[in-house]
Amino acid sequence: MINMRTRNLVASIFLLFLCGGYAYLTVNLPTRAIENSTQPSFFPWVIVVFLTGLTILLLIQVAVSGKQPKIERTHQLPVKRLIYGLLLSLAYLLALPKLGFVAANIPLFGGLMYLYGGRSPLWIGLGSVIISVSVFLVFRQIFQIILPVGAIGNIFC
Amino acid sequence: MSPDVLDGLVQASQLNTIIAVAAGCLIGLVVGMIPGLTISTGIIIVLPLTFVLPPEISIALLLGLYVSGMTGGSFSAILLNIPGTPSASATAMDGNPMARNGEAGRAMGIAIVSSFFGGLFSFLCLFFVAPLLAEVALQFQSPDLFSLVFFGLTIICSFAARSLIKGFLSAALGLAIVTIGQDPMMGTQRFTFGEVNLIGGIHFLTALIGLFAIPSLVDNFTDFINKSPGHGTLTKFKSVIPNFSDLKLMRLPISIGAPVGSFLGILPGAGGPIAAFISYDYCKRLSVNPESFGKGSPQGIAAPESANNAVTGGALIPMMTLGIPGDPVTAILIGALLIHGLAPGPLLFIENGEFAYGVIFSFFWANIFNIIIALICLRFLVKVLTIPKTLLMPSIAILCVIGSYALRNNFFDVYVMFAFGMLGLAMRWLEIPIIPLLLAMVLGRQLEEHLRVSLIASKNDVSIFFTSPFSLFFLGLATGSIIWSLFAEYKRRKNSTHSSSP
Repeated sequence: MINMRTRNLVASIFLLFLCGGYAYLTVNLPTRAIENSTQPSFFPWVIVVFLTGLTILLLIQVAVSGKQPKIERTHQLPVKRLIYGLLLSLAYLLALPKLGFVAANIPLFGGLMYLYGGRSPLWIGLGSVIISVSVFLVFRQIFQIILPVGAIGNIFC
Repeated sequence: MSPDVLDGLVQASQLNTIIAVAAGCLIGLVVGMIPGLTISTGIIIVLPLTFVLPPEISIALLLGLYVSGMTGGSFSAILLNIPGTPSASATAMDGNPMARNGEAGRAMGIAIVSSFFGGLFSFLCLFFVAPLLAEVALQFQSPDLFSLVFFGLTIICSFAARSLIKGFLSAALGLAIVTIGQDPMMGTQRFTFGEVNLIGGIHFLTALIGLFAIPSLVDNFTDFINKSPGHGTLTKFKSVIPNFSDLKLMRLPISIGAPVGSFLGILPGAGGPIAAFISYDYCKRLSVNPESFGKGSPQGIAAPESANNAVTGGALIPMMTLGIPGDPVTAILIGALLIHGLAPGPLLFIENGEFAYGVIFSFFWANIFNIIIALICLRFLVKVLTIPKTLLMPSIAILCVIGSYALRNNFFDVYVMFAFGMLGLAMRWLEIPIIPLLLAMVLGRQLEEHLRVSLIASKNDVSIFFTSPFSLFFLGLATGSIIWSLFAEYKRRKNSTHSSSP
């Protein structure tokens, strides 16, 4: 597993790029010709200075800290499961505006049930349909929160 | 007595409000006791409801959840040796040994009653201190308010992070995120990239859902693989009502835990876990029987439990009077108030005195219902610990989507929530604390506004921050908190070097 020094180095490099990008965008902010007033870019500049200073301090901390031993992994990381979860979520986010809340949630719910260890197809099928539909109905009908119905959602309204 | 006090009591005692408090308590006890679900996650679950309910009812619901979530955390700590919330970690040290000795009911009874007294003490603090503090805060000018918000941020960074640099980095990222959208002084668009949805900025509630819920969902993936031993084996118990000798034993720990918790609750960022451990430690030192601690001492349960519940009332003091949240839960409470057009701060007591006192009395009812529901329903509530995660976790995922969508009826917020979830995971990997980022998002706009107003008033003369006594006081406290944090970090490093050297 990667030690803390390496992680701090990764964070510093990323933050330096972020500072650069943020500073570039701040330079390009519009100015206002109002006397005795601070410009819209004033606070972002304060943040740029603050963020850059802190990033440099973190980088110095990385430089002065000695070589660290690798951290022993105490927990097994379910990498495959995490990747599947991420892909499922991305697919869900893409499908949600088109399919609507109920139709998009049923496969998400079923997929997550499987990833959390559910193995019975009947249990997964019933759970995902019943909970997705009831959550939708409770929020839409009782609490009047207008959730997107999408292509096939109208049957529930 | 101000007429607002009576009006507030009447408002908090309406049937709808009482039902909301009781429902909040029930949800809080359930959420608190499920390991892997924090109070923040619980609040995220009910968050969509707060958009549609009237403000006094939504706040009552959230307060019930906040108070009972703290108590609920102790049940799984006692029964399974897995704290339901971080604040219950200290409770497990004596609670679980008691449960293993066949006294699970007694341990939970002590936890419930101590929580009640801790909460009640903090209610009294809130009732008496908050209006006084609000009166003082009314005199604050822009430079004072800037210094106050700055102090709030520095103390959050000091408490929340093991490394002060990382705490400040997190806060700086939060401030950078706040600058997205319209400039608060002139309305100029900043960093919107032509995206209409970004003009209003990124709502901190959307960010909060992503930052807390997604890492929690991922954690439960990991827990599923690495099932902790003992999980799922519930200890059976009989009566939960403490007897007279237990009540006598609880006097010392409660008299330590309640004031410590209330005081630490006032400090932004300190929170329940710190209060619980400090009270535990003090109680152990003052106890006539310190060797019993760690082996199932009732005092070892009462001290942390009274402290972590006392934190809740303490945390409401800066939230209501100064608009400064001390933890994610009070940040959500601020969000819930803002959604209904109520700005927390000293003016809340002047302009909406009835509402402000209504919140305080709802907090009182939350403590009352917490003890009633916990004592009566505990036997049934612990069954929740056996609910399969295969149903629970996907349900939370769906509720997160609803919460972020319902905020502005916008898919864009769902994407933002997901992006913040990824950011939360990355920050956790890099050991950068999340809380400073979140609270900087809550306070960032105020910080910028007060800074710029002060500079405009003084014609860009920064000495304005050092001439007002209030401002000077807060800047002094901010400097003190930074020095204290640096000293604590230095001491920690020195100790770890000593312990690692042969």
